[in-house]
Amino acid sequence: MKKFSLLLCFTILLIAGNMLKANAQEQETAETGDIILKPTPKNENALFKKNEEIVYNLRIQNNTNQYKEGKISYLLTTDDGKKVRLDSVHLAIRGGATKEIAVKLLPKPSGFYHLNFMVNTGDYDDTVRKVFGVDPQEIRSQLHKPTDFEAFWKQSREQLEKVAPKYRCLERKDLSTDRKKVYAVEMHSYGDLVIRGWLVVPRDGSKFPVHYRVPGYVVALNPNMDNDDFIAFDLNVRGNGNSKDVISIGTDNYCLVNVENKDKYIYRGVYMDCIRGLDFLCSHESLGIDTSKIFVEGGSQGGALALITAALDKRVKLLTMQVPLFADIHDNMNISSSYQKQVFPFKVFRRYNDMHPNFTWDKFFSTFDYYDPQNFAPMVKCPVLMGIGLLDQFCPPRCSMALFNHISSNSKEYVCVANSTHEVDLNYFMFQNLWLREKFRIP
Amino acid sequence: MKKLRLFAFAILLLVGFIRPYAVYAGFPIGKYRDLVVPSFNYYSQTNHYDVYGNYVKGLPGARYTSMSANLYLGYGISRRLDLIVSVPYLYQVNTISAGKSIISQGAGDMVAGLSYNLVNYSFKRFLSVQVSGVVPLYTAVSGTSALGLGDYGTEVKLMFCGTLPDFIADKGYFNTEAAYRRYFNFQGPDQVSFLATVGYPISWHNQVSFDISVMRSFSPNKSFNINYNAERDYAFVKPQLNLGHTFTRRFSMFVGGYYVPYGINTGLGYGGSIVAIIKL
Repeated sequence: MKKFSLLLCFTILLIAGNMLKANAQEQETAETGDIILKPTPKNENALFKKNEEIVYNLRIQNNTNQYKEGKISYLLTTDDGKKVRLDSVHLAIRGGATKEIAVKLLPKPSGFYHLNFMVNTGDYDDTVRKVFGVDPQEIRSQLHKPTDFEAFWKQSREQLEKVAPKYRCLERKDLSTDRKKVYAVEMHSYGDLVIRGWLVVPRDGSKFPVHYRVPGYVVALNPNMDNDDFIAFDLNVRGNGNSKDVISIGTDNYCLVNVENKDKYIYRGVYMDCIRGLDFLCSHESLGIDTSKIFVEGGSQGGALALITAALDKRVKLLTMQVPLFADIHDNMNISSSYQKQVFPFKVFRRYNDMHPNFTWDKFFSTFDYYDPQNFAPMVKCPVLMGIGLLDQFCPPRCSMALFNHISSNSKEYVCVANSTHEVDLNYFMFQNLWLREKFRIP
Repeated sequence: MKKLRLFAFAILLLVGFIRPYAVYAGFPIGKYRDLVVPSFNYYSQTNHYDVYGNYVKGLPGARYTSMSANLYLGYGISRRLDLIVSVPYLYQVNTISAGKSIISQGAGDMVAGLSYNLVNYSFKRFLSVQVSGVVPLYTAVSGTSALGLGDYGTEVKLMFCGTLPDFIADKGYFNTEAAYRRYFNFQGPDQVSFLATVGYPISWHNQVSFDISVMRSFSPNKSFNINYNAERDYAFVKPQLNLGHTFTRRFSMFVGGYYVPYGINTGLGYGGSIVAIIKL
């Protein structure tokens, strides 16, 4: 009786746990096609050690009711398209049947690798693309930092400081709720341009840490009503959201504005807008802002802006970024040149290069080296959390990790999401929330 | 925009489970975080169940009343590992008949141990194990004490908790625990217990939770003691209803009441508790 009771209790717990896990897994596997290939890395995050065999379990499912014969192959390349290995096996599978193959690869040097699984039968072809990493924390890249880099940004800060901010902060009762006050915020920034943002202050408390969010590429940020434990400050830098008074440019050209002139390149003002946002926060403590607990966050372009803000200004105490755009721009160019179809950002830069014969890549880099987030990374001293998607082509994982490895903070963590493209997943954000609470000791 | 939605959803999920009553359940406390949970419990009984589970009416004027204060401390050593200590102080009045009472008071059995999060399911649900030691903080005279069994012991507890599955409710939390405790005495007891809790927010600051616990204590010593702290072989089922209010992000309070509708060799009584949860 005693043993039975004990066994019963533990069994109930384990069954409940496994049911929930199985339910989650089933939701992930809804795919269609005649023959489904489902490669699963041995390590869930698709990261391996240098001395570790790389193993994928390849599940092959024949969704038809007919016998199929053909070939299963895989192509392993470096992330810049250099072929490492091509191999194949004969496929013979009955209708409705499922097979599993273990694909084993010898240990590889540090880096990211593309692994394409292909199925070819007489009447059906399909390719499933995967990326895995090997000791990404050991990836190193060259910094192409201009000698006057620090002086350039010091001068930019000085020019920003000469612009009177003329802050306006108006409560928007129409957007406020019984739990939160919403303020429309306006200020003058670099070049005396007006930029705007949204400040959302919880009502049940007197002082809050700040979640300062900077925008993705030409993305409008709106009041963030979801955060109950932080004051949410969402800044639309010039040309984004409600900050389009002077600069209102579509995604095809935004990053090209004055790209041939490092002094006038659009991102000089954009980076300074982010600093001006910090100035705003630190001059409005009366709204309940705890200026000792400001964390800056962003994804894609926002990830780059968040990093640069943390690098240039020590008022930022925590940095979280996802898929940071423009990182390690030199390697990004090399990697993207191997793509069959160009994607942002080099799709835009290459088009500009094609249309402007005098615009050489040397000229491009003579500007962009002042703006490459990687060059700011050594200046980041606060704790950092970064999330990347391994299938990301906009921000290749190697470039994001190169940036990450240049960050000089001794408290930094990264999360790789194996099956994500230019985004991370819910799991990452759940972890990020816990990470923030841990770092700021939020109950 | 998908990223923003994910971020918001993650916050909602997090907020959904960070304020459960059963904070000292399988939820990791969190690295560097401290948890202080003082509580006060009241229990009273006049009747009891015999060793066969039959209802036995108490003698006229007889009543057993227990009041206890408990201090639970938790510290997050790492993201997965927590240190927990629980120290009770008991005040018990055993009224044998009108005008004749025995009062006993003092510290009871301290429980101290480590809780380790074995698996987290997307940070929404957690499977944890806790290993604790039981240390009597009183002296048992001739092997007996009204404050407890007077023996050292150890406990292993498996806990599974988290947000309720979507097919049950879009918010709320659950906690389940299965524990085995062994006292180091030739009479044991060996104890097996199971606890299931479901909590649901009824407004922004208020929640209701219901839990049911089942306890079975095995021992060759079948003697009945109206004071359940000092008996070895018994069983009971205890449903409890709690109401919780969150005053601030760091301070919540719960008030609960329970009844023992069935037992073996144990008292038939009712009780209540007031619990404060302080997050530092």
